[in-house]
Amino acid sequence: MPSALKADGITVQFGGVVAVDNVSLDVQQGTILGLIGPNGAGKTTLFNALTGFVPLKAGRIALHGQDVTHLAPHARVRAGMGRTFQTERPFEELTLLENVLVAAFLREPKRRHAEQLAMQVLEQVGLADRHDQPALDLNLARRRRLELAKALAVQPRVLFLDEMMAGLNPPALKEMIGFVRELAAQDLTIVMVEHIMEAIIELSDHVIVMANGHVITEGLPREVIEDPRVITAYLGED
Amino acid sequence: MLDYVSFLQNLSNGLLIGGVYALIGVGLTLVFGVMKTINFAHGDFVILGMYCAVLLNTLFGWDPYLTLLVAMPLGFLTGAILQRLVLSRLVEAPPESSLLVTLGLALVIGNILLLTFGAEPQSVHVAYASSTLSLGEISLSVILLLAGLATLIVITALYAILNHTELGRSIRATADNRLGAELVGINTRWIEAVVFGIGMALAVTAGVVLIPLLFATPTFSGAIFTLKAFVVTVLGGLGNIGAAIAGGLLLGVVEVLGASYLTSDYRDAYGLLVFLLVLLLRPEGLFGKTVKRV
Amino acid sequence: MNRHYLILSGLVVLGILYPQAFPGYLSVAITLLLFAGWATAWDILGGWAGQVSLGHASFVGLGGYFVAVGASQYGIAPWWAVAMALVAAAVLAYLWGRLTFKLTGPYFTLSTIAIAEILRLVAINEGWLTGGATGVFIMSLPEPFGLDLFARQTNYYLALAFAALTVLTVIAMSRNKFGYQLRAVREDEDSAMASGINPTTVKLKAFMLSGALTALGGGIYAIFLSFLEPHVIFYLLLSVQIALTAIIGGRGTIWGPCVGALLVVGSGEVFRTTFAEANMLIYGLLIMLVVMFLPRGIVGEPARYLIRRAYAKRAQS
Repeated sequence: MPSALKADGITVQFGGVVAVDNVSLDVQQGTILGLIGPNGAGKTTLFNALTGFVPLKAGRIALHGQDVTHLAPHARVRAGMGRTFQTERPFEELTLLENVLVAAFLREPKRRHAEQLAMQVLEQVGLADRHDQPALDLNLARRRRLELAKALAVQPRVLFLDEMMAGLNPPALKEMIGFVRELAAQDLTIVMVEHIMEAIIELSDHVIVMANGHVITEGLPREVIEDPRVITAYLGED
Repeated sequence: MLDYVSFLQNLSNGLLIGGVYALIGVGLTLVFGVMKTINFAHGDFVILGMYCAVLLNTLFGWDPYLTLLVAMPLGFLTGAILQRLVLSRLVEAPPESSLLVTLGLALVIGNILLLTFGAEPQSVHVAYASSTLSLGEISLSVILLLAGLATLIVITALYAILNHTELGRSIRATADNRLGAELVGINTRWIEAVVFGIGMALAVTAGVVLIPLLFATPTFSGAIFTLKAFVVTVLGGLGNIGAAIAGGLLLGVVEVLGASYLTSDYRDAYGLLVFLLVLLLRPEGLFGKTVKRV
Repeated sequence: MNRHYLILSGLVVLGILYPQAFPGYLSVAITLLLFAGWATAWDILGGWAGQVSLGHASFVGLGGYFVAVGASQYGIAPWWAVAMALVAAAVLAYLWGRLTFKLTGPYFTLSTIAIAEILRLVAINEGWLTGGATGVFIMSLPEPFGLDLFARQTNYYLALAFAALTVLTVIAMSRNKFGYQLRAVREDEDSAMASGINPTTVKLKAFMLSGALTALGGGIYAIFLSFLEPHVIFYLLLSVQIALTAIIGGRGTIWGPCVGALLVVGSGEVFRTTFAEANMLIYGLLIMLVVMFLPRGIVGEPARYLIRRAYAKRAQS
């Protein structure tokens, strides 16, 4: 299988603090990479470094063989990355359709075509019937789905999901897991930062565990969560 | 040798006028530090001080420095009331609203002054207007010296209040960390009113001190003083009082030296150019970061 | 959305008929139309892209001076002068934006004041370029198709065309890709980047469009005044008037700037004798009231209310 996302020696430094230290990863097309670790492990920083929102100190990033290391975040999106944000903030005065339209315009400059694409994506996340409702006061589960729709509307090849599952109630969680699985089935490559173990175990093909800016272990989800080093990292040593 | 003397002469004039700029800038920066409000009406508060001196001089023949006894407390009270009535209502509004509301306030003050006093420039003539004090070959204007002295006294007093009183500690705590200050029981709403009052009192004082030197005009000069105050504070970094003093002195010197050695046509542009350069090249502590959520 | 085009057509028809109905009130109508156009043009940058400029008088001055100096010193026809001014304004806006768009919020606003003031000082002091501080007269203009450009009625129709053009631009923009990019950048630059939008490029385009349209109005203003003074046309107060007109009406709305113009020019006319030169008092009071009680402006606040109400109804059903 071809490599969709390849990162080598990613290092990020804030002032004197090394937040991510020499992390490498290689994600195969159509697979899901789960990124876990205790708070402050550096997974969100790594995530932001991969998508270009945080500058690198060292390292290289390639997207389907194209070097994107020096591209700005919006240029990486053009090159095929899509991402969601942890705290989603839709444009409240715009309708759901218009919210997604902003992203859909990237691939479809004509309004009519962009609208078709946006509707299609809204259907994919199950929000099509609410497309003309303002994004005001959406509940959390629907805001997450809208955020997912915005990321999908740029038609990414690699999708970055930042804690999409946090705070969802069990039915909504199940639903979101379903959406993500469906996306992977359509040959989309996914990198997800997640705290919800259930989602990680059910979805990931490969898991990377980080602590203090380092990768402490990686492998299949079942193996990884039973690794004593991982348990120590989460619970601390006695 | 003559050049050397005239340079010193210009330098000292620049420093003295810069002292008054510092006084104006300190008020603006104090308000910004505590309230994160950019006060566009600050220059018009200065003009208000000038007219206060003009009024008391015409009515009772008071010397401008005597006026300070009335103008300072009055400025403090007005500022505190304005903060409670207007600015404190803007808590959850869009980010530029405090800038816009103070811009409105500036227009209201300037135009009310225009309606009351007319457009004719006004000043207060004092007996010592043209007196100078010689220091070797350098002669210093008594008015400027007095202004410099007044600035020194007021800023020293402010420094003492901020560093050695309970009120000052509360103000600094609020500027530092608002939530933390509230947690230790500081009434930050009250502090904000006090700080805005102090800011206005400082501006009014600067106006009074300047009146023997400059003419007061109701609408146009307010904006100029506001701009100068911004220049001063941005030179140093908004919210930093020591830096505002340095910024004020620097602006005074830049203006006077630029006007004498380059061309006086662009006197006001020198400060603005420096202002722009600082804004663009020395961003640390100057930029209001957009909400970072990644 | 087509209703906006409909409203605009209706207003333009009324505007065409206006001189027949009120031939004695052309000057105030010209002022109103110019401010409606300027505020609408300002709003492309200030409202739709969210970058509050207090330096737009520079673009009025640029447009005005191209026409006035072109006519009085080089014998350039005003339409060519305006065409050159549009290009010059776009270039100025591009350089200006390149320089200052890394500043955000109030810092951007402060930088616009500083640049505009420097440009004003240049206009006053560089007499070879602008005729200097005393100003420049337009003595004669060509008469295309026998049309007297100095006539009030001609000025009026030019101003009407200008206002209609800016509003038309904004209506079209509000529906297309660019309009949505602007809103995205205004709301959240990070989120906009995640949609593949380059915020700096989008803001630059907005500034260039806004500056060029403002300069167009400036050119018409110059013909209307036939005498330009750098003190007045480049002055901070004009920038403030333009910005406040749009903000009072409602930033980022199609009709807000026009409603703002109607309100400030209208009340200025009503209170003209009372306040005389102190007419900026109205701007001051209005902006304070609007910011305190209608932060989204006179048009923006009810529009938001309607959206909320529609949503509440839907949620009930």
